Amino acid sequence: MRFLALLRKELREGLPWILLAAVALLTIGGFSLRHAVVYKIYDWSRSYFTSGSVVYSNCLTHHTPLHITSSALFLTIIGLGLVLGVRQFWLPYFTGTWPFLIHRSTGRITIIAAKFTAAALGFIISPGLIWAVFFWYASRPGLSTPPPALRTFIEGWLFILLGLVIYLGTALVGLSTARWYTTKIFALAFATIAVIIVFMQWNLIMAFALIIASAAILLLQIIDTFLKREF
Amino acid sequence: MKLKYISAPAKIFMTVLIMLIGIHILQIIIMETAIIFAYKEHREPKKELSEQEKRLDRIKNSAKEFLPDGTIHLIYKLGRERYMYDWQRQENEREIVQIYDANDNLLWDGPIKDRPYKYLFWAEPPSPHRDAIDERRLKETLMITPEFSQTLEIPVFYSEKEVMQVWRYELAKEHFVGYNTVGEKFGYISAAGFTNSKAGAEPLGKFKLLTAWCPKDSSSPTLLWQTKRRIYQINFENQSVELILENPQTDIEKIALLAWRDLKPDTIEDTSTDMHRPTIYYQTEDRKHHLIMRNPDQKITINTPDDWDNRLISFSATKQSVFLNRYISERTPPEDYYKSPKLMREWWDNLRGKTTKEAVELYEAAEDGNIKLLNHYDWTVPGQSIFVDPRERIMRKATYCVTKFSPPLYELVWHFWGSKFWEIRHYSSDPMRELLGFIEHLHPGSSVLNWLISAAMMGFVLWHGWPRRTSWAWFIFWLIFVGAFNLAGLMTYWALNHTTVIKCPSCSKRRGLLKSNCARCGSKLPEPQIGKLNLIFNN
Repeated sequence: MRFLALLRKELREGLPWILLAAVALLTIGGFSLRHAVVYKIYDWSRSYFTSGSVVYSNCLTHHTPLHITSSALFLTIIGLGLVLGVRQFWLPYFTGTWPFLIHRSTGRITIIAAKFTAAALGFIISPGLIWAVFFWYASRPGLSTPPPALRTFIEGWLFILLGLVIYLGTALVGLSTARWYTTKIFALAFATIAVIIVFMQWNLIMAFALIIASAAILLLQIIDTFLKREF
Repeated sequence: MKLKYISAPAKIFMTVLIMLIGIHILQIIIMETAIIFAYKEHREPKKELSEQEKRLDRIKNSAKEFLPDGTIHLIYKLGRERYMYDWQRQENEREIVQIYDANDNLLWDGPIKDRPYKYLFWAEPPSPHRDAIDERRLKETLMITPEFSQTLEIPVFYSEKEVMQVWRYELAKEHFVGYNTVGEKFGYISAAGFTNSKAGAEPLGKFKLLTAWCPKDSSSPTLLWQTKRRIYQINFENQSVELILENPQTDIEKIALLAWRDLKPDTIEDTSTDMHRPTIYYQTEDRKHHLIMRNPDQKITINTPDDWDNRLISFSATKQSVFLNRYISERTPPEDYYKSPKLMREWWDNLRGKTTKEAVELYEAAEDGNIKLLNHYDWTVPGQSIFVDPRERIMRKATYCVTKFSPPLYELVWHFWGSKFWEIRHYSSDPMRELLGFIEHLHPGSSVLNWLISAAMMGFVLWHGWPRRTSWAWFIFWLIFVGAFNLAGLMTYWALNHTTVIKCPSCSKRRGLLKSNCARCGSKLPEPQIGKLNLIFNN
């Protein structure tokens, strides 16, 4: 019951940002996707395939119109990760509300679990749902030949998980008592390295494993710090 | 289990990773800065070459080509200072060449395209940067990246602009799935040929390489598809799969093509002069050479001595004979040297300034695979022609200095895993290769100085950590950690262990505040006095 109350509180506080991310992604991504479909940006170019000639290797690798939404999705998940991290773990310092939250008749683990659940729900509702809508739209018959691969859909979800890693990095930075010029910023640097390394992967299972490992590294430190530190 | 026992290693891992990356970035910046500031332009006055030196230089820079009767010609492009690799594929056909015989008599000079001789073309491996996709390139296209991965797709056109079908390669299933214009699946192309259902499809095998071309009578690509043990030719327009080769015993290591692709004459890749036969050369992992030829269909395995360097052999097939071209050079490092950058560097250092011998040999292969020497030609390469870049010298000195602060742990990994590391780097996709190259470039080498610096850092930890120690295991761990990671280890230690010390009221020596008992005398922390709550300033 207390957990649900805390969850509602976290969702209520994060809702404007979650909705803003959803609107931004839907507008920019949706517009780009429609633009790519109307202008046939990703259609095959006949000029690369001439009878009696070699086909250059880069003409055989292809994107579908859905790929045009990748930048919007990527920027949205980074933005949402940073904003939710700041909202949940930094802002209570500035507004002086940490003591009100901590000194309740509930354990700290419940408080932090409510924060994480709210963030995860935010990512699923906002970029997750819209990404699913984009994929459904791009897969409609006749829109592109061939339709986007299932792999692209999974990659979109890996992006969303990376957003959670950025969120965890921001949260740990917020909780750290170290100074700015020492190790405080390391958690965000680590999250950035994790994003770069995941982008280098071609094997989705490996990418997923790396995301889980980096999230676990950040999560353990967050919980340990949150349970120990004074507010 | 207490959470701190797993969160502390997580924190150490995160910190040391960031420290390592930060220090390596700094090392690279120092090396590049050293080049920028220490480099001085040094131009030696151009020495006037004697007639004999000019002749040797011309021979060295000439392409050595054979006529089908075994005669060798030296083809020199005027004004050309480097060896002509692709001399026959000239983009500028007006370029002037001189053709000499083996006795250095000028036979002919004029524009390349007007040459009166028809030389043998040699089977060439398709290039992943131009007309092929290999395993590594395929992985690169599948990399997630901020723009999502790409898929390997083959379009089939039915009019000037419109696509009729698209065949997408499914890496996990090792087959192609066909989509029609409305995006519906209509069939599969696999080892079983064309099938309507997924159940009937059989995997093509582990992908190795593909090369694609549009035949003369079609605008849709045909693929030569090499797997670990098979070679297929796939025509997507006709929905046909031809198994050209199946090698059940050994893996296919590399392939090369001669006049196999049905191309228009005079295109850059065209080797289909009327005297050659369509040929696929393939080398198996047991280092044997095989040729598959058409017009008429024929397959032979060519026997070569074991001590030959397989990288320097190429093959050609005409309607009359099968030829083998062998290049011999004292400047080519042995194959094993490519596994070690150190050996390679030593090899090139030893060669500098030395006069070396090079040669080409032409052999004719019989149907039983035995070869017979038809012609041999050798020449001398003057030593002074090897250019030494002064930037390389500066880079080496700078690398020597900055790698003294690299982790000795890298050296241990390098020592036990060195040649495999090199191979993994070679076969990795681009960014991963860069990352491994980064480590390879910055490993400290077997340096006593590196170990001494690590030992000095351990000494610092001993001095710094002794009053702050909370347990022996923790203290010993940090000593070993700093010894293994050098500067990155020390920075990590410092970032995670720098606590304030006070003077112990009992023994008057320094003690940390993380443990209630003094690490030296064991006495407890003093009780704060009323009005004097700050232990740091009060002691």
